[in-house]
Amino acid sequence: MSVRRVAAVAGRIASQFRRDHRSLGLLVAAPILIMSLIGALWGSVDPASVRVVIAGDGATPPAAALTASLSRAAGLSVRSAGLDAAVASLRDGSADAVVVLAGSPRVIVEGSDPTRTSGTLTALTRALAAALGPATPAPPVEYLYGGPSASLLDSLAPGLIAYFGFFFMFLLAAVSFLRERTSGTLERLLASPLTRGELVAGYLAGFTLFALLQAVILIVFTIAVLGVSYRGGIGAIFVVAAGVATIAVALGLLVSAYARNELQAVQFIPLVILPQGFLSGLLVPVDRLPDLLRPLAGAMPLTYAIEALRAVMVKGYPLGDGLVLRDLAIMAAFGVAALVGAALSIRREVA
Amino acid sequence: MPSPAIQARGVTKTFGRVRALAGLDLDVARGEIVGLLGPNGSGKMTFIRTLAGLIRPESGSIEVLGRSPSRAVADGQVGYMTQAAALYGELTVEENLRFFAALNGVRAAGPRIADALATVDLADRRTSPVNTLSGGMRSRVSLAAALLHAPSVLLLDEPTVGVDPVQRREFWNHFRSLAAAGTTILVSSHVMDEASRCDRLGLIRDGAIVAEGSAARLVERAGAADLESAFLILAEASR
Repeated sequence: MSVRRVAAVAGRIASQFRRDHRSLGLLVAAPILIMSLIGALWGSVDPASVRVVIAGDGATPPAAALTASLSRAAGLSVRSAGLDAAVASLRDGSADAVVVLAGSPRVIVEGSDPTRTSGTLTALTRALAAALGPATPAPPVEYLYGGPSASLLDSLAPGLIAYFGFFFMFLLAAVSFLRERTSGTLERLLASPLTRGELVAGYLAGFTLFALLQAVILIVFTIAVLGVSYRGGIGAIFVVAAGVATIAVALGLLVSAYARNELQAVQFIPLVILPQGFLSGLLVPVDRLPDLLRPLAGAMPLTYAIEALRAVMVKGYPLGDGLVLRDLAIMAAFGVAALVGAALSIRREVA
Repeated sequence: MPSPAIQARGVTKTFGRVRALAGLDLDVARGEIVGLLGPNGSGKMTFIRTLAGLIRPESGSIEVLGRSPSRAVADGQVGYMTQAAALYGELTVEENLRFFAALNGVRAAGPRIADALATVDLADRRTSPVNTLSGGMRSRVSLAAALLHAPSVLLLDEPTVGVDPVQRREFWNHFRSLAAAGTTILVSSHVMDEASRCDRLGLIRDGAIVAEGSAARLVERAGAADLESAFLILAEASR
């Protein structure tokens, strides 16, 4: 082995890298960005208080006493409401648990996220035991969604389907479109009657077929092989998953305009894909994000995709539900914006 | 009298600090074959890309068949053969041609593809993936792709790079018959043998035409023995 030849190869790599300012910048910026996100997400030890709604006649002496007693418990914030209003606030996420005081007390939890549910139940049963006295048996627990047997995978599955569907299609679309540019065929296409809008629409149509196929594979594998339980209609799940993949194609096309080669396209992963993994509700619920990061989640298409897919899969919402429709509309807006951006970014001129 | 197929007046284009076109004037009549000769970086390619509607000039006017280049391209009147054979390597020769035919709105592409493949002598490689072809064969497929829609104006950027002499002669025979049928052809080249086959040559240097005329006239004007020396003398004189 010749040290000189090895040194020549190493030296050449260093010179090439030195001139690739983007790669060099990424080498420095990407770890700082990713580690800052992780720090902001899990670094702050500030457990959110469990929001409990007491339903029942708050004027009766037992209810008043229980409310007063639970309010004194650490880590609980308590208010009272009618049963319907209380369940509604569980549904919209503004409460974690409802204690129903009609007859013998019972507890209702939201249940779609096992980690959150177990945290809620631990804090609540401790406070209830203290309030009701050790002689009273623990009140029964009902689940709005999921159940005591819901696994972590059941709640993670929708997020993972959305995330990986997005990731694969994004990469595929970005790299394919880039090859059009690097192989010179884009030049030929632009010197033909084909318009930029037609080109982008053609790409979208061509990839949609594969996006749909991928959505089917992801869903079937998750449900049939991994045994993830789901509530909603499988058609609704498919519609949302296909929507995710389609946005990913649109974004991939957009991003490929800003890359000169495959390496630069791959460099968009830590900038586009990873932050969405941390902030879009896949790992940490969006409402538990630090205040500083929550607006970022709102600007990410995956946030809406994961919310919609979770609503459909875990909570069994139909496609026509207001929340799901709103999420799909926002996803469509992201998709259209990315497509228009992609069409505009295909410059005829190469400076 | 019909307008010239190509009419360029005072065309300029700057990339950053590089002045690629500096007031270029050129007329090409319909059915004429004009060669653009010039050293690397002289602006040949920029000019051809301008005619293909890929670059918008900063000043001056440029018309292809009496309209803007991008209009002429959108109307399917322009065929453009890029220097590197821009084709899809995974697809077969025929699939590539079918795709470009569709883009250019060619109906009943089958017979046209067969014609184009016969022209470039590749009928027997119709079903070969382009990846498996030699560089010269790819150039031929690329030319076939530019011919499919029978464009009125054909822009050829160094069309015979990597093509053997026999095949090159075939190419030129075909260009001649196209021109006789009314197709206007603009060829960039630095192969002198190729240049001498053009009706007229434009010698381009630093983004402008510095000498123009038939090969014989240029040789005579430079007082040179052949086209290559004439090219060197005229290019030097223009500094």
